[in-house]
Amino acid sequence: MKTQTMAVPGPAGQLRIKPRRTLGKGLRIVLTLAVMLIVVLPFYVAIVYSFRSPGTVTANRLAWPDQPTLQNYIDVIFQNKGFLTGYKNSIINTVPTVILLMFITSMSAWVLARFQTKFYVFLYSVLTIGLLVPFQCFQLPLYLNWYNLGLVSTNVGFIIARAGLQISISLVAVTGFIKTVPRELEEAASIDGCNRFQIFWKVVFPLMTPINITQVVLNTLFIWNDYTTSIILLRDKASHTLTLAQIIYFNENTAMLNQAFAFFVLSMLPILILYLGLQKYIVSGITAGAVKG
Amino acid sequence: MPQLKARTISKQSIRIHAGNMLFLLPTILLFTVVVLIPFFQGIPYSFTNWKSIISTNRAFNGLNNYRYLLTNKFFLQSIGTTFKFTFLYCLSGNLVGLGLALLIHRSSWFNNIARTVFFLPFTVSVTAGAIVWSYVYTDVYSKLTGLVSPLGMPGQVVYGMVVIAAWRDLGYTMLIYIAALQTISKDYYEAATVDGASVLRQFTHITLPLIVPAFTTNITLLLAWGLRTFDLPMAVARNVQEGQFTAVYIYDSIFSNAKAGLGQASAIILTVILIVLTQFVTRFLRGLEVES
Repeated sequence: MKTQTMAVPGPAGQLRIKPRRTLGKGLRIVLTLAVMLIVVLPFYVAIVYSFRSPGTVTANRLAWPDQPTLQNYIDVIFQNKGFLTGYKNSIINTVPTVILLMFITSMSAWVLARFQTKFYVFLYSVLTIGLLVPFQCFQLPLYLNWYNLGLVSTNVGFIIARAGLQISISLVAVTGFIKTVPRELEEAASIDGCNRFQIFWKVVFPLMTPINITQVVLNTLFIWNDYTTSIILLRDKASHTLTLAQIIYFNENTAMLNQAFAFFVLSMLPILILYLGLQKYIVSGITAGAVKG
Repeated sequence: MPQLKARTISKQSIRIHAGNMLFLLPTILLFTVVVLIPFFQGIPYSFTNWKSIISTNRAFNGLNNYRYLLTNKFFLQSIGTTFKFTFLYCLSGNLVGLGLALLIHRSSWFNNIARTVFFLPFTVSVTAGAIVWSYVYTDVYSKLTGLVSPLGMPGQVVYGMVVIAAWRDLGYTMLIYIAALQTISKDYYEAATVDGASVLRQFTHITLPLIVPAFTTNITLLLAWGLRTFDLPMAVARNVQEGQFTAVYIYDSIFSNAKAGLGQASAIILTVILIVLTQFVTRFLRGLEVES
Protein backbone atom coordinates (compact mmCIF):
# COMPACT_ATOMS: atom_id res chain seq x y z
CA MET A 1 0.00 0.00 0.00
CA LYS A 2 1.27 3.37 -0.93
CA THR A 3 0.04 6.51 0.71
CA GLN A 4 0.59 9.83 -0.92
CA THR A 5 -0.25 13.11 0.64
CA MET A 6 0.68 15.94 -1.61
CA ALA A 7 0.46 19.53 -0.66
CA VAL A 8 -0.04 21.68 -3.72
CA PRO A 9 -0.69 25.41 -3.85
CA GLY A 10 -4.37 26.15 -4.30
CA PRO A 11 -5.83 28.94 -6.42
CA ALA A 12 -5.85 31.50 -3.62
CA GLY A 13 -2.28 30.68 -2.71
CA GLN A 14 -3.13 28.63 0.38
CA LEU A 15 -2.17 24.97 0.63
CA ARG A 16 -4.71 22.44 -0.59
CA ILE A 17 -4.51 18.78 0.27
CA LYS A 18 -4.82 16.57 -2.76
CA PRO A 19 -6.91 13.41 -2.13
CA ARG A 20 -4.65 10.51 -1.26
CA ARG A 21 -4.35 7.31 -3.25
CA THR A 22 -4.91 4.14 -1.28
CA LEU A 23 -3.36 1.86 -3.84
CA GLY A 24 -1.01 2.72 -6.64
CA LYS A 25 -2.86 3.20 -9.90
CA GLY A 26 -0.91 0.44 -11.61
CA LEU A 27 -1.70 -2.05 -8.88
CA ARG A 28 -5.40 -1.17 -9.07
CA ILE A 29 -5.46 -1.85 -12.80
CA VAL A 30 -3.59 -5.14 -12.48
CA LEU A 31 -5.94 -6.33 -9.73
CA THR A 32 -9.02 -5.29 -11.70
CA LEU A 33 -7.76 -7.03 -14.83
CA ALA A 34 -7.05 -10.21 -12.86
CA VAL A 35 -10.62 -10.35 -11.52
CA MET A 36 -12.00 -9.51 -14.98
CA LEU A 37 -10.11 -12.50 -16.34
CA ILE A 38 -11.73 -14.87 -13.83
CA VAL A 39 -15.17 -13.37 -14.41
CA VAL A 40 -15.04 -13.83 -18.20
CA LEU A 41 -13.40 -17.28 -18.05
CA PRO A 42 -16.74 -19.21 -18.22
CA PHE A 43 -17.82 -17.14 -21.23
CA TYR A 44 -14.51 -17.89 -22.92
CA VAL A 45 -14.88 -21.62 -22.24
CA ALA A 46 -18.42 -21.60 -23.68
CA ILE A 47 -17.38 -19.72 -26.81
CA VAL A 48 -14.33 -21.92 -27.45
CA TYR A 49 -16.47 -25.05 -27.22
CA SER A 50 -19.17 -23.61 -29.45
CA PHE A 51 -16.74 -22.86 -32.32
CA ARG A 52 -15.09 -26.27 -32.31
CA SER A 53 -16.11 -28.68 -35.08
CA PRO A 54 -18.98 -30.93 -33.94
CA GLY A 55 -17.92 -33.89 -31.86
CA THR A 56 -14.26 -33.03 -31.52
CA VAL A 57 -12.65 -33.29 -28.14
CA THR A 58 -9.11 -32.04 -28.04
CA ALA A 59 -6.41 -32.54 -25.47
CA ASN A 60 -6.08 -28.87 -24.77
CA ARG A 61 -9.67 -27.89 -24.24
CA LEU A 62 -8.96 -24.24 -23.59
CA ALA A 63 -7.07 -23.57 -26.78
CA TRP A 64 -8.80 -21.59 -29.52
CA PRO A 65 -9.85 -24.14 -32.20
CA ASP A 66 -7.52 -24.41 -35.23
CA GLN A 67 -10.45 -24.27 -37.60
CA PRO A 68 -13.28 -22.41 -35.91
CA THR A 69 -16.64 -23.36 -37.38
CA LEU A 70 -20.22 -22.14 -37.28
CA GLN A 71 -21.49 -25.68 -37.81
CA ASN A 72 -22.68 -26.05 -34.19
CA TYR A 73 -24.75 -22.90 -34.48
CA ILE A 74 -26.25 -24.02 -37.79
CA ASP A 75 -27.07 -27.44 -36.33
CA VAL A 76 -28.72 -25.95 -33.26
CA ILE A 77 -30.81 -23.47 -35.22
CA PHE A 78 -31.95 -25.78 -38.01
CA GLN A 79 -32.01 -29.24 -36.46
CA ASN A 80 -32.82 -28.78 -32.81
CA LYS A 81 -36.56 -28.62 -32.20
CA GLY A 82 -36.14 -27.71 -28.55
CA PHE A 83 -34.19 -24.63 -29.51
CA LEU A 84 -36.76 -22.99 -31.78
CA THR A 85 -39.67 -23.97 -29.52
CA GLY A 86 -37.70 -22.64 -26.55
CA TYR A 87 -36.98 -19.37 -28.29
CA LYS A 88 -40.59 -18.94 -29.33
CA ASN A 89 -41.86 -19.68 -25.81
CA SER A 90 -39.29 -17.46 -24.12
CA ILE A 91 -40.30 -14.52 -26.28
CA ILE A 92 -44.06 -15.15 -25.98
CA ASN A 93 -43.73 -15.56 -22.21
CA THR A 94 -41.45 -12.62 -21.56
CA VAL A 95 -42.67 -9.76 -23.75
CA PRO A 96 -46.36 -9.61 -22.66
CA THR A 97 -45.37 -10.14 -19.01
CA VAL A 98 -43.04 -7.15 -18.85
CA ILE A 99 -45.50 -4.91 -20.72
CA LEU A 100 -48.37 -5.96 -18.46
CA LEU A 101 -46.19 -5.31 -15.41
CA MET A 102 -45.19 -1.89 -16.69
CA PHE A 103 -48.81 -0.74 -16.95
CA ILE A 104 -50.27 -2.25 -13.80
CA THR A 105 -47.40 -1.40 -11.47
CA SER A 106 -47.07 2.17 -12.69
CA MET A 107 -50.81 2.71 -12.12
CA SER A 108 -50.88 1.17 -8.65
CA ALA A 109 -47.53 2.66 -7.61
CA TRP A 110 -48.82 6.15 -8.39
CA VAL A 111 -51.72 5.76 -5.95
CA LEU A 112 -49.55 4.05 -3.32
CA ALA A 113 -46.93 6.79 -3.53
CA ARG A 114 -49.40 9.68 -3.36
CA PHE A 115 -51.73 8.40 -0.62
CA GLN A 116 -50.13 7.70 2.72
CA THR A 117 -53.15 6.94 4.90
CA LYS A 118 -53.26 3.75 6.95
CA PHE A 119 -55.24 1.81 4.37
CA TYR A 120 -52.79 2.48 1.54
CA VAL A 121 -49.75 1.83 3.72
CA PHE A 122 -51.28 -1.51 4.71
CA LEU A 123 -52.06 -2.33 1.09
CA TYR A 124 -48.47 -1.54 0.12
CA SER A 125 -47.08 -3.85 2.77
CA VAL A 126 -49.40 -6.67 1.64
CA LEU A 127 -48.48 -6.24 -2.03
CA THR A 128 -44.75 -6.31 -1.23
CA ILE A 129 -44.97 -9.44 0.93
CA GLY A 130 -43.65 -11.35 -2.08
CA LEU A 131 -40.19 -10.07 -1.18
CA LEU A 132 -40.23 -12.14 1.98
CA VAL A 133 -42.28 -15.22 1.17
CA PRO A 134 -40.35 -17.70 -0.99
CA PHE A 135 -42.07 -19.19 -4.03
CA GLN A 136 -41.65 -22.67 -2.50
CA CYS A 137 -44.30 -21.75 0.08
CA PHE A 138 -47.14 -21.53 -2.43
CA GLN A 139 -45.90 -23.34 -5.53
CA LEU A 140 -48.06 -26.41 -4.82
CA PRO A 141 -51.43 -24.59 -4.44
CA LEU A 142 -50.57 -22.35 -7.39
CA TYR A 143 -49.77 -25.39 -9.52
CA LEU A 144 -53.04 -27.11 -8.50
CA ASN A 145 -55.16 -24.03 -9.21
CA TRP A 146 -53.47 -23.58 -12.57
CA TYR A 147 -53.96 -27.27 -13.31
CA ASN A 148 -57.68 -27.05 -12.52
CA LEU A 149 -58.01 -23.98 -14.70
CA GLY A 150 -56.17 -25.66 -17.57
CA LEU A 151 -53.36 -23.11 -17.37
CA VAL A 152 -50.42 -25.43 -16.75
CA SER A 153 -48.02 -25.61 -19.72
CA THR A 154 -49.68 -22.65 -21.44
CA ASN A 155 -48.18 -19.28 -22.33
CA VAL A 156 -51.17 -17.42 -20.86
CA GLY A 157 -50.88 -19.32 -17.58
CA PHE A 158 -47.19 -18.55 -17.33
CA ILE A 159 -47.67 -14.87 -18.17
CA ILE A 160 -50.33 -14.38 -15.48
CA ALA A 161 -48.34 -16.25 -12.84
CA ARG A 162 -44.99 -14.67 -13.62
CA ALA A 163 -46.45 -11.16 -13.69
CA GLY A 164 -48.13 -11.75 -10.31
CA LEU A 165 -44.87 -13.02 -8.84
CA GLN A 166 -42.95 -9.99 -10.06
CA ILE A 167 -45.38 -7.39 -8.64
CA SER A 168 -43.74 -6.99 -5.22
CA ILE A 169 -40.29 -6.29 -6.60
CA SER A 170 -41.47 -3.90 -9.30
CA LEU A 171 -43.79 -2.05 -6.96
CA VAL A 172 -41.00 -1.19 -4.50
CA ALA A 173 -38.87 0.34 -7.23
CA VAL A 174 -41.65 2.22 -9.03
CA THR A 175 -43.26 3.60 -5.85
CA GLY A 176 -39.85 4.78 -4.69
CA PHE A 177 -39.39 6.58 -8.00
CA ILE A 178 -42.77 8.36 -7.98
CA LYS A 179 -42.10 9.72 -4.50
CA THR A 180 -39.19 11.67 -6.03
CA VAL A 181 -41.43 13.22 -8.73
CA PRO A 182 -42.88 16.58 -7.61
CA ARG A 183 -46.69 16.86 -7.43
CA GLU A 184 -46.86 20.36 -8.91
CA LEU A 185 -47.45 19.21 -12.47
CA GLU A 186 -50.32 17.00 -11.38
CA GLU A 187 -51.85 19.87 -9.41
CA ALA A 188 -51.50 22.20 -12.38
CA ALA A 189 -53.20 19.66 -14.64
CA SER A 190 -55.98 19.27 -12.11
CA ILE A 191 -56.57 23.02 -12.03
CA ASP A 192 -56.68 22.97 -15.84
CA GLY A 193 -59.63 20.62 -15.51
CA CYS A 194 -58.04 17.24 -16.25
CA ASN A 195 -59.64 14.26 -14.52
CA ARG A 196 -57.48 11.73 -12.73
CA PHE A 197 -57.18 9.39 -15.69
CA GLN A 198 -56.06 12.23 -17.93
CA ILE A 199 -53.62 13.39 -15.25
CA PHE A 200 -52.12 9.93 -15.01
CA TRP A 201 -51.85 9.11 -18.71
CA LYS A 202 -50.93 12.59 -19.94
CA VAL A 203 -48.75 13.87 -17.11
CA VAL A 204 -47.57 11.16 -14.72
CA PHE A 205 -47.01 8.22 -17.06
CA PRO A 206 -44.72 10.15 -19.43
CA LEU A 207 -42.72 11.39 -16.44
CA MET A 208 -42.20 7.76 -15.40
CA THR A 209 -40.43 6.80 -18.63
CA PRO A 210 -36.98 6.29 -17.02
CA ILE A 211 -38.26 3.96 -14.30
CA ASN A 212 -40.51 2.17 -16.79
CA ILE A 213 -37.59 1.44 -19.11
CA THR A 214 -35.58 0.25 -16.10
CA GLN A 215 -38.42 -2.04 -15.03
CA VAL A 216 -38.88 -3.43 -18.52
CA VAL A 217 -35.18 -4.22 -18.83
CA LEU A 218 -34.76 -5.73 -15.36
CA ASN A 219 -37.98 -7.74 -15.56
CA THR A 220 -36.98 -9.04 -18.99
CA LEU A 221 -33.72 -10.20 -17.46
CA PHE A 222 -35.44 -12.00 -14.58
CA ILE A 223 -38.26 -13.54 -16.61
CA TRP A 224 -36.12 -14.62 -19.58
CA ASN A 225 -33.78 -16.39 -17.15
CA ASP A 226 -36.53 -17.79 -14.90
CA TYR A 227 -36.17 -21.41 -13.88
CA THR A 228 -37.95 -21.78 -10.52
CA THR A 229 -41.43 -20.85 -11.78
CA SER A 230 -40.99 -22.40 -15.22
CA ILE A 231 -40.17 -25.87 -13.95
CA ILE A 232 -43.39 -25.94 -11.91
CA LEU A 233 -45.79 -24.43 -14.45
CA LEU A 234 -44.35 -25.55 -17.80
CA ARG A 235 -44.57 -29.35 -17.68
CA ASP A 236 -44.96 -30.28 -21.37
CA LYS A 237 -41.89 -30.20 -23.55
CA ALA A 238 -43.79 -28.10 -26.08
CA SER A 239 -44.18 -25.33 -23.49
CA HIS A 240 -40.52 -25.28 -22.41
CA THR A 241 -38.61 -22.01 -22.46
CA LEU A 242 -34.93 -21.69 -23.36
CA THR A 243 -33.86 -22.01 -19.72
CA LEU A 244 -35.59 -25.39 -19.37
CA ALA A 245 -34.63 -26.61 -22.85
CA GLN A 246 -30.99 -25.80 -22.18
CA ILE A 247 -30.71 -27.95 -19.07
CA ILE A 248 -32.31 -30.90 -20.83
CA TYR A 249 -30.06 -30.39 -23.83
CA PHE A 250 -26.91 -30.34 -21.71
CA ASN A 251 -27.96 -33.44 -19.79
CA GLU A 252 -29.02 -35.44 -22.83
CA ASN A 253 -26.27 -34.46 -25.23
CA THR A 254 -22.98 -34.90 -23.42
CA ALA A 255 -21.63 -36.39 -26.65
CA MET A 256 -22.51 -33.24 -28.58
CA LEU A 257 -21.19 -30.81 -26.07
CA ASN A 258 -20.04 -28.31 -28.67
CA GLN A 259 -23.61 -27.88 -29.86
CA ALA A 260 -24.86 -27.53 -26.32
CA PHE A 261 -22.50 -24.60 -25.86
CA ALA A 262 -23.68 -23.03 -29.11
CA PHE A 263 -27.18 -23.37 -27.63
CA PHE A 264 -25.99 -21.56 -24.51
CA VAL A 265 -24.42 -18.70 -26.47
CA LEU A 266 -27.52 -18.25 -28.63
CA SER A 267 -29.81 -18.26 -25.57
CA MET A 268 -27.99 -15.47 -23.80
CA LEU A 269 -27.53 -13.36 -26.93
CA PRO A 270 -30.77 -11.30 -26.73
CA ILE A 271 -30.22 -10.49 -23.07
CA LEU A 272 -26.60 -9.64 -23.74
CA ILE A 273 -27.57 -7.18 -26.47
CA LEU A 274 -30.26 -5.70 -24.24
CA TYR A 275 -27.76 -5.35 -21.39
CA LEU A 276 -25.03 -3.73 -23.45
CA GLY A 277 -27.52 -1.37 -25.10
CA LEU A 278 -29.49 -0.33 -22.03
CA GLN A 279 -26.88 -0.78 -19.34
CA LYS A 280 -27.43 2.58 -17.67
CA TYR A 281 -31.07 1.71 -16.97
CA ILE A 282 -30.07 -1.55 -15.29
CA VAL A 283 -27.51 0.25 -13.16
CA SER A 284 -29.96 2.96 -12.11
CA GLY A 285 -32.64 0.37 -11.35
CA ILE A 286 -30.40 -1.68 -9.11
CA THR A 287 -28.80 1.18 -7.29
CA ALA A 288 -32.22 2.71 -6.61
CA GLY A 289 -32.73 -0.25 -4.33
CA ALA A 290 -34.54 -2.55 -6.70
CA VAL A 291 -34.53 -6.18 -5.74
CA LYS A 292 -34.23 -9.39 -7.71
CA GLY A 293 -37.14 -11.78 -8.25
CA MET B 1 -74.23 25.25 5.83
CA PRO B 2 -71.57 23.15 7.54
CA GLN B 3 -73.52 19.91 7.18
CA LEU B 4 -73.80 20.18 3.43
CA LYS B 5 -70.15 21.02 3.12
CA ALA B 6 -69.14 17.92 5.08
CA ARG B 7 -71.32 15.81 2.85
CA THR B 8 -69.83 17.12 -0.37
CA ILE B 9 -66.32 16.54 0.95
CA SER B 10 -67.08 12.96 1.85
CA LYS B 11 -68.72 12.46 -1.52
CA GLN B 12 -65.58 13.82 -3.12
CA SER B 13 -63.37 11.60 -1.02
CA ILE B 14 -65.45 8.56 -1.99
CA ARG B 15 -64.91 9.52 -5.61
CA ILE B 16 -61.17 9.79 -5.03
CA HIS B 17 -60.94 6.44 -3.29
CA ALA B 18 -63.08 4.77 -5.93
CA GLY B 19 -60.77 6.20 -8.58
CA ASN B 20 -57.79 4.88 -6.62
CA MET B 21 -59.31 1.43 -6.54
CA LEU B 22 -59.60 1.45 -10.32
CA PHE B 23 -55.88 2.17 -10.55
CA LEU B 24 -55.07 -0.50 -7.98
CA LEU B 25 -57.50 -3.17 -9.14
CA PRO B 26 -55.40 -4.98 -11.80
CA THR B 27 -52.44 -5.23 -9.42
CA ILE B 28 -54.53 -6.38 -6.45
CA LEU B 29 -56.42 -8.91 -8.57
CA LEU B 30 -53.29 -10.43 -10.06
CA PHE B 31 -51.45 -10.52 -6.74
CA THR B 32 -54.41 -12.10 -4.96
CA VAL B 33 -54.83 -14.85 -7.55
CA VAL B 34 -51.14 -15.68 -7.93
CA VAL B 35 -49.73 -15.10 -4.45
CA LEU B 36 -52.27 -14.47 -1.68
CA ILE B 37 -54.83 -17.20 -2.34
CA PRO B 38 -52.24 -19.95 -2.92
CA PHE B 39 -50.35 -18.77 0.18
CA PHE B 40 -53.39 -19.25 2.43
CA GLN B 41 -54.42 -22.46 0.64
CA GLY B 42 -51.00 -23.93 1.34
CA ILE B 43 -51.00 -23.58 5.11
CA PRO B 44 -53.70 -26.23 5.85
CA TYR B 45 -52.03 -28.68 3.44
CA SER B 46 -49.06 -28.78 5.78
CA PHE B 47 -51.24 -30.33 8.51
CA THR B 48 -52.36 -33.27 6.35
CA ASN B 49 -51.00 -36.68 5.39
CA TRP B 50 -51.42 -35.83 1.71
CA LYS B 51 -49.27 -38.10 -0.42
CA SER B 52 -49.48 -37.85 -4.20
CA ILE B 53 -50.84 -34.59 -5.63
CA ILE B 54 -52.68 -36.61 -8.27
CA SER B 55 -55.05 -37.97 -5.60
CA THR B 56 -57.34 -35.80 -3.49
CA ASN B 57 -56.98 -38.18 -0.54
CA ARG B 58 -55.81 -36.26 2.45
CA ALA B 59 -56.64 -36.30 6.14
CA PHE B 60 -55.75 -33.89 8.92
CA ASN B 61 -52.84 -35.23 10.92
CA GLY B 62 -52.05 -32.30 13.20
CA LEU B 63 -48.41 -31.47 13.73
CA ASN B 64 -47.17 -34.87 12.58
CA ASN B 65 -45.38 -33.50 9.51
CA TYR B 66 -43.57 -30.87 11.55
CA ARG B 67 -42.65 -33.40 14.23
CA TYR B 68 -41.36 -35.79 11.58
CA LEU B 69 -39.32 -33.10 9.81
CA LEU B 70 -37.61 -31.85 12.95
CA THR B 71 -36.09 -35.31 13.45
CA ASN B 72 -35.65 -36.24 9.79
CA LYS B 73 -32.03 -36.65 8.82
CA PHE B 74 -32.41 -35.54 5.19
CA PHE B 75 -34.49 -32.46 5.95
CA LEU B 76 -32.13 -31.31 8.70
CA GLN B 77 -29.17 -31.97 6.42
CA SER B 78 -30.79 -29.83 3.71
CA ILE B 79 -31.29 -27.02 6.24
CA GLY B 80 -27.65 -27.31 7.29
CA THR B 81 -26.48 -27.25 3.67
CA THR B 82 -28.68 -24.24 2.91
CA PHE B 83 -27.34 -22.33 5.92
CA LYS B 84 -23.74 -23.16 5.12
CA PHE B 85 -24.21 -22.13 1.49
CA THR B 86 -26.08 -18.93 2.37
CA PHE B 87 -23.49 -17.84 4.94
CA LEU B 88 -20.53 -18.37 2.61
CA TYR B 89 -22.35 -16.90 -0.39
CA CYS B 90 -23.41 -13.82 1.55
CA LEU B 91 -19.88 -13.38 2.90
CA SER B 92 -18.03 -13.87 -0.38
CA GLY B 93 -20.58 -12.05 -2.52
CA ASN B 94 -20.29 -9.01 -0.28
CA LEU B 95 -16.52 -9.08 0.26
CA VAL B 96 -15.76 -9.41 -3.45
CA GLY B 97 -18.42 -6.86 -4.38
CA LEU B 98 -17.08 -4.35 -1.85
CA GLY B 99 -13.50 -5.02 -2.88
CA LEU B 100 -14.30 -4.40 -6.54
CA ALA B 101 -16.31 -1.30 -5.68
CA LEU B 102 -13.35 0.13 -3.78
CA LEU B 103 -11.10 -0.64 -6.76
CA ILE B 104 -13.24 0.96 -9.45
CA HIS B 105 -15.75 3.36 -7.88
CA ARG B 106 -14.17 6.40 -9.54
CA SER B 107 -15.38 7.08 -13.06
CA SER B 108 -12.96 6.50 -15.92
CA TRP B 109 -13.25 4.68 -19.22
CA PHE B 110 -11.31 1.71 -17.83
CA ASN B 111 -13.45 1.49 -14.70
CA ASN B 112 -16.62 1.75 -16.76
CA ILE B 113 -15.55 -1.20 -18.92
CA ALA B 114 -14.64 -3.15 -15.79
CA ARG B 115 -18.11 -2.50 -14.32
CA THR B 116 -19.76 -3.73 -17.53
CA VAL B 117 -17.69 -6.91 -17.39
CA PHE B 118 -18.30 -7.57 -13.68
CA PHE B 119 -22.05 -7.35 -14.13
CA LEU B 120 -22.04 -9.63 -17.18
CA PRO B 121 -22.56 -12.92 -15.24
CA PHE B 122 -25.77 -11.55 -13.74
CA THR B 123 -27.37 -11.46 -17.20
CA VAL B 124 -26.97 -15.23 -17.63
CA SER B 125 -29.53 -17.61 -16.12
CA VAL B 126 -28.31 -19.33 -12.95
CA THR B 127 -28.83 -22.76 -14.45
CA ALA B 128 -26.92 -22.09 -17.68
CA GLY B 129 -24.13 -20.27 -15.83
CA ALA B 130 -23.80 -23.16 -13.40
CA ILE B 131 -23.60 -25.75 -16.18
CA VAL B 132 -20.85 -23.78 -17.91
CA TRP B 133 -19.04 -23.56 -14.58
CA SER B 134 -19.14 -27.35 -14.23
CA TYR B 135 -16.95 -27.40 -17.38
CA VAL B 136 -14.73 -24.62 -16.04
CA TYR B 137 -14.14 -26.86 -13.02
CA THR B 138 -13.28 -29.95 -15.06
CA ASP B 139 -11.38 -28.23 -17.88
CA VAL B 140 -9.57 -25.42 -16.10
CA TYR B 141 -9.57 -26.00 -12.35
CA SER B 142 -8.83 -29.72 -12.52
CA LYS B 143 -6.17 -29.21 -15.17
CA LEU B 144 -4.37 -26.51 -13.22
CA THR B 145 -4.57 -28.11 -9.78
CA GLY B 146 -4.86 -31.81 -10.60
CA LEU B 147 -7.86 -31.96 -8.24
CA VAL B 148 -11.32 -33.32 -8.99
CA SER B 149 -14.12 -30.82 -9.66
CA PRO B 150 -15.69 -29.75 -6.33
CA LEU B 151 -19.13 -30.42 -7.79
CA GLY B 152 -18.33 -34.12 -7.87
CA MET B 153 -17.06 -34.29 -4.27
CA PRO B 154 -19.64 -34.63 -1.47
CA GLY B 155 -17.46 -32.63 0.91
CA GLN B 156 -16.87 -29.75 -1.50
CA VAL B 157 -20.03 -29.46 -3.54
CA VAL B 158 -21.31 -26.54 -1.44
CA TYR B 159 -18.07 -24.60 -1.94
CA GLY B 160 -18.26 -25.30 -5.65
CA MET B 161 -21.74 -23.76 -5.71
CA VAL B 162 -20.74 -20.80 -3.53
CA VAL B 163 -18.15 -19.84 -6.13
CA ILE B 164 -20.74 -20.00 -8.92
CA ALA B 165 -23.31 -17.97 -6.97
CA ALA B 166 -20.74 -15.34 -5.92
CA TRP B 167 -19.48 -15.14 -9.52
CA ARG B 168 -22.98 -14.44 -10.76
CA ASP B 169 -23.96 -11.83 -8.17
CA LEU B 170 -20.72 -9.96 -7.42
CA GLY B 171 -21.61 -7.36 -10.06
CA TYR B 172 -24.92 -6.70 -8.35
CA THR B 173 -23.48 -6.06 -4.88
CA MET B 174 -20.64 -4.10 -6.48
CA LEU B 175 -23.07 -1.66 -8.14
CA ILE B 176 -24.82 -1.00 -4.82
CA TYR B 177 -21.48 -0.46 -3.03
CA ILE B 178 -20.27 1.86 -5.80
CA ALA B 179 -23.44 3.94 -5.51
CA ALA B 180 -22.90 4.19 -1.76
CA LEU B 181 -19.22 5.11 -2.08
CA GLN B 182 -20.07 7.85 -4.58
CA THR B 183 -22.34 9.57 -2.07
CA ILE B 184 -19.51 10.12 0.41
CA SER B 185 -18.24 13.68 0.22
CA LYS B 186 -14.52 14.08 -0.49
CA ASP B 187 -14.41 16.74 2.23
CA TYR B 188 -14.43 14.06 4.93
CA TYR B 189 -11.26 12.47 3.56
CA GLU B 190 -9.56 15.83 3.07
CA ALA B 191 -10.31 16.85 6.63
CA ALA B 192 -9.12 13.49 7.94
CA THR B 193 -5.91 13.75 5.92
CA VAL B 194 -5.26 17.19 7.37
CA ASP B 195 -5.76 15.74 10.84
CA GLY B 196 -3.19 13.06 9.98
CA ALA B 197 -5.51 10.04 9.96
CA SER B 198 -4.03 6.99 8.23
CA VAL B 199 -5.69 5.43 5.19
CA LEU B 200 -6.79 2.42 7.21
CA ARG B 201 -8.25 4.69 9.89
CA GLN B 202 -10.08 6.71 7.25
CA PHE B 203 -11.52 3.50 5.85
CA THR B 204 -12.75 2.18 9.19
CA HIS B 205 -13.91 5.57 10.54
CA ILE B 206 -15.32 7.28 7.44
CA THR B 207 -15.96 4.82 4.61
CA LEU B 208 -17.37 1.86 6.54
CA PRO B 209 -19.84 3.77 8.78
CA LEU B 210 -21.17 5.75 5.81
CA ILE B 211 -21.83 2.72 3.61
CA VAL B 212 -23.73 0.72 6.24
CA PRO B 213 -27.01 1.23 4.29
CA ALA B 214 -25.37 -0.57 1.34
CA PHE B 215 -24.38 -3.40 3.71
CA THR B 216 -27.98 -3.59 4.89
CA THR B 217 -29.29 -3.86 1.32
CA ASN B 218 -26.69 -6.34 0.11
CA ILE B 219 -26.59 -8.59 3.15
CA THR B 220 -30.39 -8.80 3.43
CA LEU B 221 -30.67 -9.43 -0.31
CA LEU B 222 -28.07 -12.19 -0.49
CA LEU B 223 -29.44 -13.75 2.68
CA ALA B 224 -32.92 -13.98 1.18
CA TRP B 225 -31.63 -15.17 -2.19
CA GLY B 226 -29.33 -17.71 -0.58
CA LEU B 227 -31.98 -19.31 1.62
CA ARG B 228 -34.40 -19.82 -1.28
CA THR B 229 -31.77 -21.03 -3.78
CA PHE B 230 -33.26 -23.73 -5.96
CA ASP B 231 -31.98 -23.47 -9.53
CA LEU B 232 -28.28 -23.83 -8.72
CA PRO B 233 -28.39 -27.30 -7.06
CA MET B 234 -31.02 -28.41 -9.60
CA ALA B 235 -28.54 -27.65 -12.39
CA VAL B 236 -25.29 -29.04 -11.00
CA ALA B 237 -25.80 -30.99 -7.77
CA ARG B 238 -28.84 -33.12 -8.50
CA ASN B 239 -27.05 -36.39 -7.75
CA VAL B 240 -25.09 -35.37 -4.67
CA GLN B 241 -26.99 -35.75 -1.40
CA GLU B 242 -24.69 -33.23 0.31
CA GLY B 243 -25.69 -30.63 -2.26
CA GLN B 244 -29.45 -30.78 -1.68
CA PHE B 245 -30.90 -27.50 -0.47
CA THR B 246 -34.19 -27.15 1.41
CA ALA B 247 -35.88 -25.71 -1.69
CA VAL B 248 -34.89 -28.89 -3.57
CA TYR B 249 -36.10 -31.08 -0.69
CA ILE B 250 -39.48 -29.30 -0.89
CA TYR B 251 -39.70 -29.74 -4.67
CA ASP B 252 -38.78 -33.43 -4.49
CA SER B 253 -41.22 -34.13 -1.66
CA ILE B 254 -44.14 -32.54 -3.49
CA PHE B 255 -43.49 -33.33 -7.15
CA SER B 256 -41.29 -36.45 -7.17
CA ASN B 257 -41.69 -38.38 -3.92
CA ALA B 258 -45.47 -38.13 -3.38
CA LYS B 259 -45.19 -36.50 0.04
CA ALA B 260 -47.16 -33.33 -0.64
CA GLY B 261 -48.23 -32.64 2.96
CA LEU B 262 -44.69 -33.10 4.19
CA GLY B 263 -43.26 -30.95 1.41
CA GLN B 264 -45.71 -28.18 2.21
CA ALA B 265 -44.76 -28.33 5.90
CA SER B 266 -41.07 -28.05 5.02
CA ALA B 267 -41.91 -25.06 2.81
CA ILE B 268 -43.63 -23.37 5.76
CA ILE B 269 -40.60 -24.01 7.96
CA LEU B 270 -38.29 -22.50 5.31
CA THR B 271 -40.58 -19.46 5.02
CA VAL B 272 -40.58 -18.89 8.78
CA ILE B 273 -36.78 -19.21 8.94
CA LEU B 274 -36.39 -16.81 6.02
CA ILE B 275 -38.71 -14.15 7.45
CA VAL B 276 -37.33 -14.33 10.99
CA LEU B 277 -33.70 -14.30 9.88
CA THR B 278 -34.00 -11.48 7.34
CA GLN B 279 -36.06 -9.32 9.72
CA PHE B 280 -33.52 -9.91 12.50
CA VAL B 281 -30.53 -9.11 10.30
CA THR B 282 -32.20 -6.03 8.79
CA ARG B 283 -33.10 -4.62 12.22
CA PHE B 284 -29.57 -5.25 13.46
CA LEU B 285 -27.94 -3.55 10.46
CA ARG B 286 -30.40 -0.63 10.52
CA GLY B 287 -29.28 -0.02 14.10
CA LEU B 288 -25.73 0.46 12.86
CA GLU B 289 -26.64 3.09 10.27
CA VAL B 290 -25.55 6.66 10.96
CA GLU B 291 -26.86 9.94 9.66
CA SER B 292 -24.36 11.43 7.28
